[in-house]
Amino acid sequence: MADLHARTESDQAQNAGAPDLTRRSFLTQGAAALAGVTAVAAAVSPLRHLSAEHLPNLDEFLQKHYKEMTAEDKQRVFARISQEVQQRHHVQARLSDPPPLDGVEFVYGLNLSRCIGCRKCVHACVKENNQSRSPEIQYIRVLEMEKGSIDLETANHHYDPESVPNPDKYYMPVQCHQCANPPCVKVCPVEATWQEPDGIVVIDYDWCIGCRYCEAACPYWARRFNFADPQIPSDKLNPDMAYLSNRPRERGVMEKCTYCLQRTRVGRMPACLEVCPTGSRKFGNVLDPDSEVAYILQHKRVFVLKEDVGTIPRFFYYFDERGGRYREPVASPDLGGEA
Amino acid sequence: MSQPACSTANRARAFWVPAALLFCAVILVLNPLPFHTPVAPATPVADWVTDPAPVERPKLRPEYTVAVFDYRCSDCHRIIPSPAETDRRLTQHREIELAHGINTRCFNCHHRTNRDAFADDAGDEIPWDQPQRLCSKCHGPVYRDWQHGSHGRTNGYWDKTQGQQTRRKCIECHNPHRPTFRPMHPAPGPNTLRMGPQGHSAHAEVHDPLRLKWTTGHHGESATHQ
Amino acid sequence: MKKYLTFLWDCFRLSFVGDWRYHLWMTILTVVTLAGLYAYCQQLVHGLIATGMTDQVSWGLYIANFTYLVGLAAAAAMLVIPVYIYRNLHLHDVVIFGELLAVAVILMCLLFVTVDLGRPDRFMHLFLRFNFPMSMLTWDVIALNGYLLLNLHICGYLIYCAYCGRPPSAVFYVPFVFVAIAWAVSIHTVTAFLYVGLGGRPFWNSAIIAPRFLASAFAAGPAFIILTLQIVRRYTSHQVSDDALLTLRRIIQVALLINLFLLVCELFTEFYTDSAHVASARYLYFGLGGRSVLVPWIWTAIGMNAVATTCFMLPASRSLGTLNAACVLAIVAIWIEKGMGLIVPAFIPTPLGEIVEYTPTLHEVLICLGIWAFGLLVYTIFVRVSVPVLAGQVTYENRRPREGVRVP
Repeated sequence: MADLHARTESDQAQNAGAPDLTRRSFLTQGAAALAGVTAVAAAVSPLRHLSAEHLPNLDEFLQKHYKEMTAEDKQRVFARISQEVQQRHHVQARLSDPPPLDGVEFVYGLNLSRCIGCRKCVHACVKENNQSRSPEIQYIRVLEMEKGSIDLETANHHYDPESVPNPDKYYMPVQCHQCANPPCVKVCPVEATWQEPDGIVVIDYDWCIGCRYCEAACPYWARRFNFADPQIPSDKLNPDMAYLSNRPRERGVMEKCTYCLQRTRVGRMPACLEVCPTGSRKFGNVLDPDSEVAYILQHKRVFVLKEDVGTIPRFFYYFDERGGRYREPVASPDLGGEA
Repeated sequence: MSQPACSTANRARAFWVPAALLFCAVILVLNPLPFHTPVAPATPVADWVTDPAPVERPKLRPEYTVAVFDYRCSDCHRIIPSPAETDRRLTQHREIELAHGINTRCFNCHHRTNRDAFADDAGDEIPWDQPQRLCSKCHGPVYRDWQHGSHGRTNGYWDKTQGQQTRRKCIECHNPHRPTFRPMHPAPGPNTLRMGPQGHSAHAEVHDPLRLKWTTGHHGESATHQ
Repeated sequence: MKKYLTFLWDCFRLSFVGDWRYHLWMTILTVVTLAGLYAYCQQLVHGLIATGMTDQVSWGLYIANFTYLVGLAAAAAMLVIPVYIYRNLHLHDVVIFGELLAVAVILMCLLFVTVDLGRPDRFMHLFLRFNFPMSMLTWDVIALNGYLLLNLHICGYLIYCAYCGRPPSAVFYVPFVFVAIAWAVSIHTVTAFLYVGLGGRPFWNSAIIAPRFLASAFAAGPAFIILTLQIVRRYTSHQVSDDALLTLRRIIQVALLINLFLLVCELFTEFYTDSAHVASARYLYFGLGGRSVLVPWIWTAIGMNAVATTCFMLPASRSLGTLNAACVLAIVAIWIEKGMGLIVPAFIPTPLGEIVEYTPTLHEVLICLGIWAFGLLVYTIFVRVSVPVLAGQVTYENRRPREGVRVP
């Protein structure tokens, strides 16, 4: 501390009668302050590259949570979204907000005897739901599983043989299961994701703060985050959009499969099911006793993934008959030849 | 610990902090750490990948195309007599490859006299656009599943009150002469951000988790097929 | 009110006063902070793609540092226990440095969470729809901010009273101190519960995470303070007794032993069971499917931990050289095992069995360094200001009328 005491005395001596020293100290301090401000300005200079669409917008700032929006609020927001789509893609968006249907709870069935792992569902979903092509976001991940095991550690996500199915494997597509006890909804700090009455777990993209806690919580790796600005080619944009599902998202927010609510809430089949060539995907209202899914749940050997985690998924896997998977010739007993 | 020196050194020393900050400012403005995007270009996806049309596109009409002409089956088969019920090779329609398991007789399905129709168990006609009545002669359980929607493709609307639901017929997915569903080339796999090298070698040691293939040759159907 | 503003102004002026070593230290920290700010602005422009995080590993270096620092903040206030509950007067003077460290570290924690957000401009959504009590993140928000306010009040009150030249009234700070003790335990427990409550991540879904957090925090925090107190002793007029350092050493001894024991418990449970749930642990310690980027890190951390524990148990660590070395080892080892050894492996393999490794980008590292530098900057200012004020050298009465500050 000796030097500081000495400095006190020298300063006091100097200040007692040295006006030009205070001017010097003023200059020094002024120079230091100026240099500091310049340095901070230089540090934030990359912000000059921030494009206009990423600048804070008063309307977006004041926008309420979806559940609190009045009809007028929604109209205004939809108009803003349509305008953005028009500006960015030169496409007229048809934005809807279909409410959940009464007496409907959706479930999805997947026939593991029939899935051949062609991944057409993956890409149909990408096209329908306006997902980013680069960086690539795909809600559905098809796993090539070893026969005899349901351990997901043995899954191969990157299979690329000449033709599928490989007779030694079975194929299990995984997407959001719209769980009845969803861990993602439990952990969201701002209630940006919630479960609707028809079972679909939705996200308000304009409310999500991008903390990615839900992504860590999901046991099925079903949620995706926009690390960068999503790139959708304008000619591949699907103009039939819903606010809670397939309207174009921005970077910094989460997204996931919504059972194509823009289609299913008006009675149509989801895109992944429409494109499936083998009819492995089954969708419908579980509360309707005459639906396909009710029949499957009653008569087929149904199970769910990771049941022990307690999520109560609305996505069932099942096996029915062995299916036409055998390749060997079946010798005909009376004709004695190959068929 | 040094004593503060004379005022000139003090003066000089007093300016090094602003100098350092200004130097820092200059470096930062020059963008020393530019951002290079790690995003790979989009994987090209062919049109067939998102095409929802069924794999077989049967006409669902009793027609046969020769060169550029469409003939109804009965146009020829009115005149040509039916062969005897022996197992012989086809002299016409030789492009048809019959690989329907133990179903090796044409007239198990086709009506003997009216080729514009199929044959049911009693020998009566089944119209050409009702193939499921034919297939259900032998494939009972699958037919039952198909009726309830558990087998086969259901497209259009799940809610029949809001729109039309299409149930695909058997031969829209299965070639009746070679019904095993045709293997196809898979669509491109995932190529996500910063994925790193991926391949099945990552899980090579868990290739046979339940030790089902310990003795190759004993489990013939899984071990001998590629 | 005027007095309070004068106090703040005096503190502000005081923080620029010091010898050349002080200015050098502060300039270096400022430059690093500015570099971090620059990198963060780049992240704001391009998005979180400037980091190395992916959908597979969606939390990385930011949350790793956040987890470590919450422990540091908790432990800093745990110094309070020996003083106020056990009346260990050796530590009486150093409590304030612990509390100030807690404030600086909590600021760093809040910054780390902010830079991790995808949409930091929407932080006010937290005030409009708050998923309390279901979401543990909301508990964490309350805990961290409450802790910050508590410590700001305690430190601020004590320093302000010293500045005004009047003795602090016990009713305005002693109850808060006791609340801070309980709150310190809770902030780290709540942070642990963030991870523990996720059934889809078996690496985290273990009851031992919360006790391990506390044990490692009570080793790293006092170790940091031992190093800080020696700097305070060397460069300011404040006297720090060796007994204070040795009492902290005792705390660290116990904490490191418990930490090591809990590590052994975890390793046994994972590897003896050898079920499919241990894939993440297998990845961390031995590599999985040929991917083993974290393996050298974790074994270094375990080695350093073991060496540090041994050092602390030996009487040789009573000497300051060995003590300092052991402290550095403990701090770094716990940073590794709590940061990358806890956060990243839970994401590998993904719940669907995919392995995608995580490497932080240069931008990410620079932002982390910037936040650390900012925290050290804030803490240095706190110490720089509090020592003379608490010693009575800087008061409202003897401030210089013309310049407004006197140089102690």
